[in-house]
Amino acid sequence: MNPEALHTGLIETLSLTLVITSVAAVELRRLRFSIVAYLCQALLIVGLLLSFASINKALLWWAATALVTKAILTPWFLFRAVRAADDREMKPVIGFGPSVVLVALLMVGFFRLTHGTVALLAPTGIGQLEVFRTNLAVASTVFALGLYAVLTRRDAIKTVIGLCLLENGVHLSLVSLAPGLPETALFGVASEVVVTVFLLLYVIGGVRQVFGSTDTFRLRELRW
Amino acid sequence: MPGEALTETSALPAVVFLLPVFAGVIVIAATRTNRALQQWISVLTMALVTGLGSWMAYRILRGAVLTTWRRELRVDALSALMVVIIGGIGLLAAVYSTRYIEERMAKGAAQRGTRTFYGLLLWFLGTMLWGCVTNNVIMLYVAIEATTLTSGLLVAFYWDRRALEAGYKYLMLLTIGITFALFGCVLLYAGAASTNKLGGGSALLISDIRNVVQFIPLGTAALTIAFLLIGFGTKAGIAPFHPWLPDAHAEAPTPISVLLSGVMIKMSLYALARTVSMFYPAWPQVTIFIVALGTFTMLLGIILALSQNDLKRLLAYSSVSQMGYVLVGIGLGTYLGCYGGLYHLLNHAVCKSLLFMCAGAVMYATGARRISELGGLSSRMPITSACYFLGALALAGFPPLNGFWSKLTIYLALARAGLWWAAGIAIVASILTMVVMVRAGYKVFWGTAPLSNSLPTNVKEVPAGMFVPMTTLAALCVLLGVYPQAPYRILNRAADVLATMGK
Repeated sequence: MNPEALHTGLIETLSLTLVITSVAAVELRRLRFSIVAYLCQALLIVGLLLSFASINKALLWWAATALVTKAILTPWFLFRAVRAADDREMKPVIGFGPSVVLVALLMVGFFRLTHGTVALLAPTGIGQLEVFRTNLAVASTVFALGLYAVLTRRDAIKTVIGLCLLENGVHLSLVSLAPGLPETALFGVASEVVVTVFLLLYVIGGVRQVFGSTDTFRLRELRW
Repeated sequence: MPGEALTETSALPAVVFLLPVFAGVIVIAATRTNRALQQWISVLTMALVTGLGSWMAYRILRGAVLTTWRRELRVDALSALMVVIIGGIGLLAAVYSTRYIEERMAKGAAQRGTRTFYGLLLWFLGTMLWGCVTNNVIMLYVAIEATTLTSGLLVAFYWDRRALEAGYKYLMLLTIGITFALFGCVLLYAGAASTNKLGGGSALLISDIRNVVQFIPLGTAALTIAFLLIGFGTKAGIAPFHPWLPDAHAEAPTPISVLLSGVMIKMSLYALARTVSMFYPAWPQVTIFIVALGTFTMLLGIILALSQNDLKRLLAYSSVSQMGYVLVGIGLGTYLGCYGGLYHLLNHAVCKSLLFMCAGAVMYATGARRISELGGLSSRMPITSACYFLGALALAGFPPLNGFWSKLTIYLALARAGLWWAAGIAIVASILTMVVMVRAGYKVFWGTAPLSNSLPTNVKEVPAGMFVPMTTLAALCVLLGVYPQAPYRILNRAADVLATMGK
């Protein structure tokens, strides 16, 4: 592994653009635009994996898997789910303004955290490099944003997009945390997310049929 | 480690989980509407799996560890115990389904055919078995997430308001929860790889990570343990990550409730025990934390069960509580604690499966499941009533039934470790369990039926396809209670695998 071969500048740019697409995916109120933002993010992840692949050939497989699962299958399922319905999202619990502030805080927080404690997070040698620190900080921000979307959005489809972001964050972190992971493991991890998304959207389709909307706040039959 | 075992290469670990997966493919692809064929395939497959599991257990008791594919799969005593439990309960659930699902289909409760039901049932069991035989830490996560995916549609099988809500929550919450376990597993792998002490071993194989875990830096280890606890704990129904459990266990079709409560949550606890117990020798402080989490779980679960009017939700909350006992036992890390924890895991699988089957029998016969709507069923359903009380008393730890011995072992283990407060809470939770279970049983089977009676007048005992699995489990409750040394040999070896804190 030769870290000098990395296109550091390119990777940093891609990483930061990635955060912007996450914010867009969470904040855009039209579900279709939100899915497009997610699609852009998936392509950026593929780009990132390809640029990291210059030092770790195993990541080429990872990039190919990500292209199929994240950039093709998942958006396709999502588009299919919003096709029939009005794609304006239900009013979220927390509005746009506070969200942006929160994102900024998360970013700063995770950058500081990963710079301070990177040895703890990524006990591998390469984890100490600046590029990988950026990667980890971005990955955790995307993860936190996804979790935030799942927790605060009312629309079930939006929560699925949040879940996808959350998983993207985890998968992105694998580049730094587990660079030597074999392809079979990566393939298993990635394909499972697609199946999850498919099943969730299938169940949400049923929810729309039976409840008449995808508002998760109306799912309150089961309490205590 | 006492008696270092001989490693034998064998195809059995692979066969035991691939068999249900392929049978599931056949059921979905080739049986169309032939219900009898689907039922036969499911029952025979599970009978075969139970047989293979017992055969593996027998070989392991003779001093072997079975491995396949360059140790990717590895079955020791602990895995074999889990395989036998999953196989046995799976077999009984498959037998029970034959009549139960048929009746629900006749009422038009489910949209999709029995083909989907049996296919997914077999896949669900297959993925659980995979999780128990795999030795690869990443595949452990993949298998556990796969159990969520295969059971997701089964939880929502009835496709009505309640089932869909439960299915949505189940898939969403468990996927998020288990993502933490992925972080944990990856950190475990990364931590083990960075120690550079795995001469020839692989940082992916749990059996190899075990040997180097004490070299992982403290910070990484703490983070790994936290992520694994959140991730696998969510799936195991450990409080405060339990809110998905009562919804899913109550709204799923009863045979699936049996598998969720009887087996699935235990399989995640198995994963938790496999991974976290490695850290005990280097960081014994973890044990106190896990014991505290376990006592909190057992108390919270049973307190929430107290206020339930829905029979299945009551049983589900009681499962949360009982998982607390298992966690406390395994969390202690001593031989006695692990023995008690695993023994309780086995006993709870038997009792809770029995109780869910009884609740299903009541629903089958009366169509009602609210305790306030039921009453006086004991004269019309004597077998179900007797089975319920046996299961309830066994669960509450009434001597000489099986639950008594495992709970006693856990109390003794806690006392020996000096954790008197935990032993006290465990005893209080056990008394509360007795109150909750017997009160519910009294109202349903002995109390007078409410005046505004919506119950059908021709309530009669359930058919043999349903009461045979119930009586089998009830007999096991008695047998394991009267003859508690019956599972000693396998439990002893399995506890040796987990007990990292010395005898």
